[in-house]
Amino acid sequence: MHLIQTMAALSEEVLLVVKKVRQRKQDGTLYLMAERIAWGPEGKDRFTVSHLYADTRCQKISPDGKAKIQLQLVLHTGESTTFHFSNDSSALKDRDAAKELLQQLLPKFKKKANKELEEKNRMLQEDPVLFQLYKDLVVSQVISADEFWANRLGDTNHADPSLSNNKQEVGISGAFLADIRPQTDGCNGLRYNLTADIIESIFRTYPTVKEKYCENVPHNLTEKEFWTRFFQSHYFHRDRINTGTQDIFSECAKQDEQGLKSMVVQGVKNPLVDLLSLEDKTLDEGYGVCTTLPSTSNSNRSVKESSNSAIIKRFNHHSAMVLAAGSRKGETPANQASETSNTDGNSRDSVFFQPPVKKVKLKEAIEYEDLQRENRPKTVALNLKKSDRYAHGPVPLQSQQYTTSQDIINSVNYIQHEMVNYKPNLTQVLSSTTASSAIAALSSGGVLMQAATQQAINQMVPSEVQGELKHLYAAAGELLRHFWSCFPVNTPFMEEKVTKMKSNLERFQMTKLCPFQEKIQRQYLSTNLTGHLEEMLQTAYSKFHIWQTRRMLRKT
Amino acid sequence: MASEEEINLLVIVVDVNPIWWGQQAQRATELTLSKCLDAVMVLGNSHMAMSRTNKLSVIASHFEDSHFLYPGKSWRMGDSCGDDASSSGDGKYELLAVANNLIAEEIRKVMSKTEVRGNSTDTLLAGTLAKALCYINRVSKEFEVGQEIKSRILVIKAAEDCARQYMNFMNVIFAAQKQNILIDACVLDSDSGLLQQACDITGGLYLKIPQKVALAQYLLWVFLPDSEQRSQLVLPPPAHVDYRAACFCHRNLIEIGYVCSVCLSIFCNFSPICTTCETAFKIQLPQMVKPKKKKLKQPT
Repeated sequence: MHLIQTMAALSEEVLLVVKKVRQRKQDGTLYLMAERIAWGPEGKDRFTVSHLYADTRCQKISPDGKAKIQLQLVLHTGESTTFHFSNDSSALKDRDAAKELLQQLLPKFKKKANKELEEKNRMLQEDPVLFQLYKDLVVSQVISADEFWANRLGDTNHADPSLSNNKQEVGISGAFLADIRPQTDGCNGLRYNLTADIIESIFRTYPTVKEKYCENVPHNLTEKEFWTRFFQSHYFHRDRINTGTQDIFSECAKQDEQGLKSMVVQGVKNPLVDLLSLEDKTLDEGYGVCTTLPSTSNSNRSVKESSNSAIIKRFNHHSAMVLAAGSRKGETPANQASETSNTDGNSRDSVFFQPPVKKVKLKEAIEYEDLQRENRPKTVALNLKKSDRYAHGPVPLQSQQYTTSQDIINSVNYIQHEMVNYKPNLTQVLSSTTASSAIAALSSGGVLMQAATQQAINQMVPSEVQGELKHLYAAAGELLRHFWSCFPVNTPFMEEKVTKMKSNLERFQMTKLCPFQEKIQRQYLSTNLTGHLEEMLQTAYSKFHIWQTRRMLRKT
Repeated sequence: MASEEEINLLVIVVDVNPIWWGQQAQRATELTLSKCLDAVMVLGNSHMAMSRTNKLSVIASHFEDSHFLYPGKSWRMGDSCGDDASSSGDGKYELLAVANNLIAEEIRKVMSKTEVRGNSTDTLLAGTLAKALCYINRVSKEFEVGQEIKSRILVIKAAEDCARQYMNFMNVIFAAQKQNILIDACVLDSDSGLLQQACDITGGLYLKIPQKVALAQYLLWVFLPDSEQRSQLVLPPPAHVDYRAACFCHRNLIEIGYVCSVCLSIFCNFSPICTTCETAFKIQLPQMVKPKKKKLKQPT
């Protein structure tokens, strides 16, 4: 959309002005402002081209070797505008300056517009029926895209964004470090295969490593170098012998130690879990016994014991970090410093959380939901006054044929007389003429078999025709829903909408329904498949007509 | 040891309402009660002749009571009480001869005992069907555990429906459906909505005969095959059943109506208080548009 604005009426800050920029073979000046990019022709004080950064999807530049130095803006709607930098001396510099500025500005505005489009795309992808409806109505231009989305997107703009992210976050595999699986590459070296998932896991689990990464890459080290260092450092390896401070990861090792110590100090919050009572209890020799009690003084520790305890410490720390990373929601680096989770070693305010957690745990352990008294909602008793009404079936009160009592007596006497000497005469039950007429009635084409010769419609109509009919019904239903929701017509907006919907319906009938009808006629299908659709459309038209005449009467 | 063959039990319920049949006889139509019973006997014999394990039962439905025509109460296999009558001399399968004689005897008894008491003249069809279901239940229990028994009921209806039996009738129908018992109907005179529903619900066949005199032929063609065999045959298609409900206020059949959400009674018009359970309802009326003051144009 091109807005025409006078430059004097600008209230936005102008960030960059580039002269001698051609657009559509016209000389002019390019202005990059806080929220939009605009171009005005030479000598005029109006902008003929103006695009909001929010509307811009991306920018493209012409390759370096080309004679023409150009910058192209591609909008979300698909349109593109090309600016040709024609200043002889500084075209390339201008273009690059503009490009850099745009590179910084565009991402800021990107998120707002994209979200809606993404939402629409997601809805279309997830629901094939909706997609088909979209194709039938919008792509064939029966109604505009705005009308189509008017009812559907209305709720999501106000909804909590966290609710729309229905997908669960993927957790971290505890074995991600093991998954790296170093391989020997033949000549005394090791190959580590790092995927993006593993890198993400490492960053999420060890925030300190991520900090180091952000500090060093890409300023001091390339990514490859960083990871090489990482794997070479003793931080990664089993035995963490702090060999000096040249290793950038030695800090990480120290922080981890501190974290682990603070975790141990905090203990477990659940009052029902007593970790300290878990100890190796020795029964006798051979039952996991250790003849000499392990002493805590460093000098008596054997090398093996200390390395065992070191690796156990590493394992515990790793597991704790993985769990902590899993419970942390999303990347919020700013919050990590003040994180109140009490599962990783870096929390500080966990002391405040002690009483409620304990209470909750105790309550969970002693109360059972099923054993509570049921709180059923209060109900109202049913009070039937005339319950005999239910005993009547759908047999309407018909005038009975009244027989006089004399008739009854006569009939009974007659039949008694007949049956007094009843003897079965089974050889004379049926004459052959009656039998053959009965058989004729029961054979195909006979009186009783008329309904059986009619084939079910769904067997006669081919399945593509059925499918098309279903799509027509869905599309017609959507349009009719829009139409009928306008009544009662109270506002001028509704009036406009109702008129537009009526023309939409007519257009639908012409572009979709009539060709379909012709097609099925050509296929000699005598069944009336579209009768009901036409009836629905006719009802809508007549309602519109009535409304229109009433409105005109009111005006006069 | 349970025998491998399946037992098929056919229960024929014959409407022997003397008033209706008497009127028929007076008008000298071709189908008399005698002829009707002959046709029923032919069907019964054919059914028993189809397989040795087929069983038969015939019940007469009267306006006084329902009476078992076959099997009789005191009848036991090999009873010699009807010896002179049973030896018909034409080499007929003895079981068929015995059955025919018994049916004839019983119907003579039923008809001679008929007394007009004047309070009801409607056939007690619902009661007879209930008796048939009970009989089927008893017979199924008498066999060994593994024995499969398939039952169906054929109703030969003469007189009109009785509206007062609706509730009992529906209960019988649903009980039959639960027990997988088919109810077929062969209607001689006027269509019966209740039997149409019965056949639709239980999966049986409903047929209104165009020619009453050819009753035997229709019975043999349509109602002799059991449900498995019917799937292989081309038989008259099921009729469209009118399942519309009747409103509680006028007993009109309605397609769209109002239902009380508390007691589920159906009405054709809205009323703010349900007359059955006395619950009050509010309905939102469309907003009243204020009439605009019309400016009268001065005629020029």
